[in-house]
Amino acid sequence: MIVLDKVSKVYRKPDGDVRALDDMSLSVAAGEFITVRGPSGSGKSTLLLAVGGMIRPTQGRVVVDGQDLYAVSSAQRARLRAEKIGFVFQMFHLVPYLDTLENVLVPNLAGARVASQDAAELLGHLQLAERLHHRPSELSTGERQRVALARALIKRPEIVLADEPTGNLDPDNARQVMSYLAEFHRGGGTVLVVTHDPLADEYAQRTVLLDRGKLRESPGL
Amino acid sequence: MSVVPLLWREIQHRKLNFAAALLAVVAAVAVCVAVVTLCDASQRETTRLMRNLGFNVLIVPKNVNMADFWSEDFAREEMPEEYVHRLAQSRDMSVRHLVARLQKKIEWRGRVVLLTGILPEVPMAHGPQKDPMGLDLPRGTAYVGYQLARVLRIKAGDTIEIGGKALRVTRLLDEKGGKDDIRIYAHLHDVQEILGKPGCINEIEALGCLCAGGDGIERIRAELARALPDTQVTEFESIARARSETRFMVERYAAFLIPTVLVACGLWVFLLALSNVRERRVEIGLLRSLGVRSGSIAGLFLGKAALVGLLGALVGYGLGTWVALHFGPRIFPVTAKSFAPLPALLGWALLVAPLLCIVASYLPAMLAVTQDPAEVLREE
Repeated sequence: MIVLDKVSKVYRKPDGDVRALDDMSLSVAAGEFITVRGPSGSGKSTLLLAVGGMIRPTQGRVVVDGQDLYAVSSAQRARLRAEKIGFVFQMFHLVPYLDTLENVLVPNLAGARVASQDAAELLGHLQLAERLHHRPSELSTGERQRVALARALIKRPEIVLADEPTGNLDPDNARQVMSYLAEFHRGGGTVLVVTHDPLADEYAQRTVLLDRGKLRESPGL
Repeated sequence: MSVVPLLWREIQHRKLNFAAALLAVVAAVAVCVAVVTLCDASQRETTRLMRNLGFNVLIVPKNVNMADFWSEDFAREEMPEEYVHRLAQSRDMSVRHLVARLQKKIEWRGRVVLLTGILPEVPMAHGPQKDPMGLDLPRGTAYVGYQLARVLRIKAGDTIEIGGKALRVTRLLDEKGGKDDIRIYAHLHDVQEILGKPGCINEIEALGCLCAGGDGIERIRAELARALPDTQVTEFESIARARSETRFMVERYAAFLIPTVLVACGLWVFLLALSNVRERRVEIGLLRSLGVRSGSIAGLFLGKAALVGLLGALVGYGLGTWVALHFGPRIFPVTAKSFAPLPALLGWALLVAPLLCIVASYLPAMLAVTQDPAEVLREE
């Protein structure tokens, strides 16, 4: 489903190059739930964005669903993201001037055909039925992350890429979010979570460690 | 969720940004509409006021020696009175306000006077009709120049006799400080009788058009060569120049002011759009991560710009027209009654303002489209 083949990513900075990913390879099977753990600055977010078709690696190939992501046009990558990938971010990135329901309908801008009723049902499932017409500023952090999760899941993607999805949440909300990701996985979806939170290991089938851009070990939890 | 509701929600959310851009466009359109409306009025006013300077074109028979003309103050050679009517019937003439005259220096009551017969203005058969210029003396009446009346103690209401013809003085002219002060004006046909020259005139005065580029007199010469080949044309250059410079000065002022206002407005809209893009970097990054296409993202910014332009054009046109109609009549009292809204400006405003806003927002929109979403999402 996801293959990273000798991928390197170097950021050119005035005070010297930063090697975020260093000749790393990783394969994620379809329907797998994998966690990539590592400290801050280890290259986790870069890895996730590279898999999402949003950062072109300096070297190597990223193949998603059989498609070499950076060998196709940016429009084709955008289409792949719109159709097959859902993103969840640590900072939620909800559109501040849209209410909960509208935020979940934002993927329609990318061509998804999500009905309001379906979005409302999903939000109900994520215990947000009472918050449909609240703005993000009126929601708790846990609720915001669930809205972000609903936005990622509403278009029924094949893959969910989550960047520190529990990073801003208290333990209860963190468990709740992870359980929804696990539910998506049980439904056949592929989940790639990058995090430094060990909680994720409880839900993942496999955990890999990333340190200074290199995969160090695979504990096989 | 589509682009339009998203656009609307964003406007509601960032009211200040939208209001600032709208205000800039309203102000720019209002200034332009007011300036153009006032320039239009200014042209009317200038035309009316400049007419008081008198005619600026003189048509005399071709064989007149102009050196003699200027030394004697009249042309010895004559041409048929019918010429003025032929000229009035001609199409595509750039002269207006045709006044036929027959004048001669004569001795009268022991003094040399300029006897001038004037035919009331012959209206042009083609083109817009304008208020007549020149004197309109009924037959059997005369106007007497200031110095002549003073020296010969002529009063209004007196009857004077010239060449056996009695004329009633209906008006004494104000001091002009020139040859007009020793002139006696009468109807052309009375003077023709007095001088024994029926159907003759020796000059036609006219007002030449104010053509940009300063080729007015050459154009008139070419037209006259076709219509009245045995005549020649002289321009009273100082009058013509005063008329044209005054009028073109207003046009030049507008030609400077309007682009300046539009550029300032465009710059303001550009800066606001740029600030809007910076403010929405994360949102743009998010949309990119969702697979929203560049065209839709650009549409968010350009659509907003077009909306600002359209609303600004409507409100600005109303405001600018109100300003012009409210203050214009005080600035241009002579033609105050002619003030009216210029509906064509609304069409221009609705076309130019959105276009200007789109052009000004184009670069920020492209920045939004090309910004690296990963950069923003990683930063956050």
